[in-house]
Amino acid sequence: MSALAEIQPYVEAFKARPNAAEPAWLKQRRESAMQRFAELGFPTRKQEAWRFTDLQPLQRAAFPPPSSVSRVAAADVAPWLYGAAAHRIVLVDGVFAPELSAIGALPKGVWLAATAETLRTRPELLDAVLRETDALGAQPFIALNAALFADGFVLALEPSVVLGGTVEIVHLGRAAKRSSQLRNLIALAAGSRATLIETYVGEGDYWTNAVGVIAVGAGAALRHVRLQNESATAIHLGHQRVELDRDARYENFTLSLGGRLARTDIHLKFDGEGAACGLFGATLLRGEQEGTIATVVDHAAPRCVTREYYKSVAADRAHGVFLGTIGVRPHAQKTDANQLSKNLLLGARAAIDAKPELEILADDVKCSHGATVGDLDETALFYLESRGIPAAEARRMLVEAFAAEVIERIEDDAAMRAHLGHHVARWLAGGVA
Amino acid sequence: MLEIKNLHARISEGREILKGVDLTVKPGEVHAIMGPNGSGKSTLAGVLSGKPGYEVTEGQVLFQGRDLLAMAADERARDGVFLAFQYPVEIPGVNNMYFLRAALNAVRKQRGESDMDAGQFLKAVRAKLKLLEIGEDLLQRGVNVGFSGGEKKRNEIFQMAMLEPKLAILDETDSGLDIDALQMVSRGINALRGPKRAIVMITHYQRLLNYVVPDRVHVLSGGRIAKSGGKELALELEQTGYGAYGDAA
Ligand SMILES: Nc1ncnc2c1ncn2[C@@H]1O[C@H](COP(=O)(O)OP(=O)(O)OP(=O)(O)O)[C@@H](O)[C@H]1O
Ligand SMILES: [Mg+2]
Repeated sequence: MSALAEIQPYVEAFKARPNAAEPAWLKQRRESAMQRFAELGFPTRKQEAWRFTDLQPLQRAAFPPPSSVSRVAAADVAPWLYGAAAHRIVLVDGVFAPELSAIGALPKGVWLAATAETLRTRPELLDAVLRETDALGAQPFIALNAALFADGFVLALEPSVVLGGTVEIVHLGRAAKRSSQLRNLIALAAGSRATLIETYVGEGDYWTNAVGVIAVGAGAALRHVRLQNESATAIHLGHQRVELDRDARYENFTLSLGGRLARTDIHLKFDGEGAACGLFGATLLRGEQEGTIATVVDHAAPRCVTREYYKSVAADRAHGVFLGTIGVRPHAQKTDANQLSKNLLLGARAAIDAKPELEILADDVKCSHGATVGDLDETALFYLESRGIPAAEARRMLVEAFAAEVIERIEDDAAMRAHLGHHVARWLAGGVA
Repeated sequence: MLEIKNLHARISEGREILKGVDLTVKPGEVHAIMGPNGSGKSTLAGVLSGKPGYEVTEGQVLFQGRDLLAMAADERARDGVFLAFQYPVEIPGVNNMYFLRAALNAVRKQRGESDMDAGQFLKAVRAKLKLLEIGEDLLQRGVNVGFSGGEKKRNEIFQMAMLEPKLAILDETDSGLDIDALQMVSRGINALRGPKRAIVMITHYQRLLNYVVPDRVHVLSGGRIAKSGGKELALELEQTGYGAYGDAA
């Protein structure tokens, strides 16, 4: 498809949008976002951030937002649910599904609702999220999302509120050749705490384009787990923009298992002193899967800590990419950052590109990074086989152990570790050649 | 049980290490293999257990009348061949108990036995642990992870006790053991002895042979069995060394 033909279906979908009862300011922002998308077009491999990502599956067809809502039975969602969740929102094809959700009783000072609902009743909460469509330079998919989003979820905590139970958000994609344009917001005011898991699942060849805007206030703490388990033919782009205030804590764990083409972006900025982030994850790829993890951490304040650890496994003809940038601004002294990417190749035709990058402009910092790409340990494999464990099973055990080692980083939450471990095992049951 | 005939083997794309090994082990027998460092004892154990990296260039190995060399490593193990490693491997992230249960169930399946349930399994584990005085906490770790040298060796014999192989090949299981551990390990080996099983022990020390008395003792040197004899051969070697049998390779 030509560059123009690629964007045309989205321009038309935008024009054809039903005239929703939205405030004028929002309509105007959508207009300018759409214009921005039309100007930018799809990213090309000439752009550094997209150099390793093959966007073909997204360019070969058009994925406008759905015109009708798929009907989904509770039983279709059940296998994907997190048993230990206390509050649940389910979205189908990018739209809140109240009959599948169970928000439950929320403590005082907690707002948990769909984005559309929040726009109607608490628009002030969304002001920050929708203010800038793409403050981070040329981000066409964020612009497109800003123009077309219909729904998503909002979790907002007032100062010092501690939300004990885990919040679960399930995004279900069902409509073929359609996109879910999700706009999600997590805002934790000073001193508040929450744990949230987002699960992406579905059936068929749809496109999920999710943009999350996350603000963690002074001394607040968020554990944010993302389980990307999209259908094998789906496309997933998940972009997180995170801002951390003074002494904030943010932990992101991304388990990426599904999707024909899947990319997770995290842009994190330290806005106040003494904050810390932990960015962890495991990506398992097989068949023709393309999987990218791209992180940009901006140390714009002194004395902040980054711990980054990503692992990926590629079998068959799969292709994994890790792009990790840590930037330290001149005044961000006493920055303590380390980044590690460990990768496992399971087939001669599988490939992994790992590009760690440090840009350090301050002099009193502790920064390190590393990346490895290797094969399964032959000695360990033989040890298992020499005890009678069939070769395929032995391989499976070693891959499982490889992933488990990073899941262990989720401290003090055995239920969450078990949940993710279960999904890794489920993926592995499909066999690793 | 085991018939090795004129076995020649080399390191893949490397030099020949085994140059015509002949050895027959009958059910119920315990054989000791001794020999200088680098003479090919571990290579022989590796070839018998299916370790990758070796190439058999000549000869034949029959295990219970079957062509052992045609079988994959995991298949040999399920058929009853067990190798106690000279250097047991650490496998972080693979829980010991989980590993052991997977191994035991794979072996049991081959023997036509049903999977052990969690209760039966734990009972069996506890009994064997006691025999080898291994702490139960060790089993909660990754396979061999953080085990001391002696603990690793005891863990090998523990696994052997659980899997009840027909042919056990023990590669220097006695090296690096303290006096008490040597006795425990010997007890473990003797417990496995029986009319239907065979044991091949590779060792450098006569001491083990006081506890586990062998039927035959062999000297592997120059890539061949250079001498065979009864248990008194080990004592003799203790006196004379390997000088009389030529250089290692
Ligand atoms: N993977 C390998 N690559 C190269 N050489 C090897 C390899 N494995 C073994 N060898 C060589 O083969 C020879 C025999 O080694 P092997 O480990 O079988 O000896 P061994 O009799 O068990 O010795 P030790 O008593 O020291 O354990 C040695 O010279 C060793 O260096
Ligand atoms: Mg040896």
